[in-house]
Amino acid sequence: MSLAAFSLADKNALVLGASSAIGRAAACALAETGADVAVGSTLATLRERAAVLSCRDAIQSQGRKSLAQTIDAANEADVQALVEQTISELGTLDILVNAHDLPFAKPLRDISSKEWRRVLEVNLTGVYFACRAAAEPMSAQHSGRIINIVSLLGERGMINGSAYCAAQGGVLNLTRALALEWARSGITVNAVGAGWTEGMGLLKDTAVQEQLRRYLPQKRLAQPSEVGEAAVYLASDMAGFITGQTVWIEGGALSHL
Amino acid sequence: MSVLDKLRLDGKTALVTGAGRGLGRAMALDLAEAGAAVVVASRTQSQIDETVDLIRAQGRRSLAVSVDITDSHSVNAMVEAGRAAFGQIDILVNNAGGATKGMFRPLDTIPDTHWQVGVDTNLSGAVYCCRALLPSMVEQGGGKIINITSGFGVRAAKNNYMYTAAKAGLINFTRALAMNYAEHNIQANLILPGIFPHDDPELIEFWRGGKFIPVGRVGQDAELGPACVFLASDMSNYMNGQMLALEGGGLAGGQAPCGFAPVVPLEEDSV
Repeated sequence: MSLAAFSLADKNALVLGASSAIGRAAACALAETGADVAVGSTLATLRERAAVLSCRDAIQSQGRKSLAQTIDAANEADVQALVEQTISELGTLDILVNAHDLPFAKPLRDISSKEWRRVLEVNLTGVYFACRAAAEPMSAQHSGRIINIVSLLGERGMINGSAYCAAQGGVLNLTRALALEWARSGITVNAVGAGWTEGMGLLKDTAVQEQLRRYLPQKRLAQPSEVGEAAVYLASDMAGFITGQTVWIEGGALSHL
Repeated sequence: MSVLDKLRLDGKTALVTGAGRGLGRAMALDLAEAGAAVVVASRTQSQIDETVDLIRAQGRRSLAVSVDITDSHSVNAMVEAGRAAFGQIDILVNNAGGATKGMFRPLDTIPDTHWQVGVDTNLSGAVYCCRALLPSMVEQGGGKIINITSGFGVRAAKNNYMYTAAKAGLINFTRALAMNYAEHNIQANLILPGIFPHDDPELIEFWRGGKFIPVGRVGQDAELGPACVFLASDMSNYMNGQMLALEGGGLAGGQAPCGFAPVVPLEEDSV
């Protein structure tokens, strides 16, 4: 095996949630490895629009093709349209990365049903829309890679984390269910488990970051690139026998008693 | 049969290792309370004699057997003594184990003997007990194995190698028992106790009263026995290869310090 086996040249990817630090890092890492990469936002806001346009520019500056759309990832039609646009402009859809991230943390009794639904719709239902839209062309070509980004809160609880934890845990087990469902369709479905990562929406507060740095076995947060790069491996031809798994990039956090 | 009657252990015999003190004694006493005769085993004769006296004071039959859990001949003799006294043994609680302070040390300083004694005490001992007892449980048409693991069996801590490896080994050994003996009506399950300082002020101080445990306190010995009775009783007959964790919530988190509770509102334009 040579390292060229990891190359994603001639592959086309779509990264949703590329407006987040980890989504952007995954998109750039896929591009750097040779893929053309379309990117979409999680929310249809001006801030996220600027983020995905900047991500597109970063991909293009590596000499790869790209396109960016500011979508609401919880909007079925938006997601379907972006999958179709990706195929019409790049040619195929080989890799889907779901890096949806709508951060939210509040005591359960203070959460309105509107907030609860919104958090579940964006973080979980949006992933379902994207997987379904991508499975169509992927099963037609009998080849595809779906990579869902989850966080530690998909595996563990957190005070104030109820809605977010429910959504993330949903994505983690959705990954296992789809891995089995599509195992004979040429599609692998895996997750990259992000540890506490720089730039994460939940960690805007620097005091919170400090608290985690002191606690974590490796005494630092993850860089978004460290999480994003794991998607390269799962997307490569070298990972064809891996499905339904989670690759945790967490600096030892899950080993901590 | 009423629901609570299912917890009764009348006419059954339990064998509890490490029952001279602490959690082992607490479990032995509650098994007796539920009606079982109890074989009380551990290394230290004076301690098991005391436990036996407490059980007899409840009006149950009990027998103290001194055992070296790391020696399979000694384990076989213990099982024989129990059978001779009570006819058959229906419930095995593998509680013996632990580690001396000296066993927690950097990996490159662990002598072979520490590692081997530790693994023998915490893992092999339970294997010997099961090996000695399971054939007769099969013959009897059923039985219950309850293995006591630890939070260190599923997560790690500084300079904790032997104990964490042995207790993790015990967990999957239990699943193997569950797989292999399910058809013989034998259930093998685990209890995972959190921090139980047994009212020892020094230990309570050492564990800071459980400040770092989500529920904010350490465990009371009296809380453990009922879990053991449940797993020993007909109430858990369809539970097999599973773990009952009594630990105050630590395992639900652990990826961040206890009490970690950020507040992050939805961005206004995202609703």
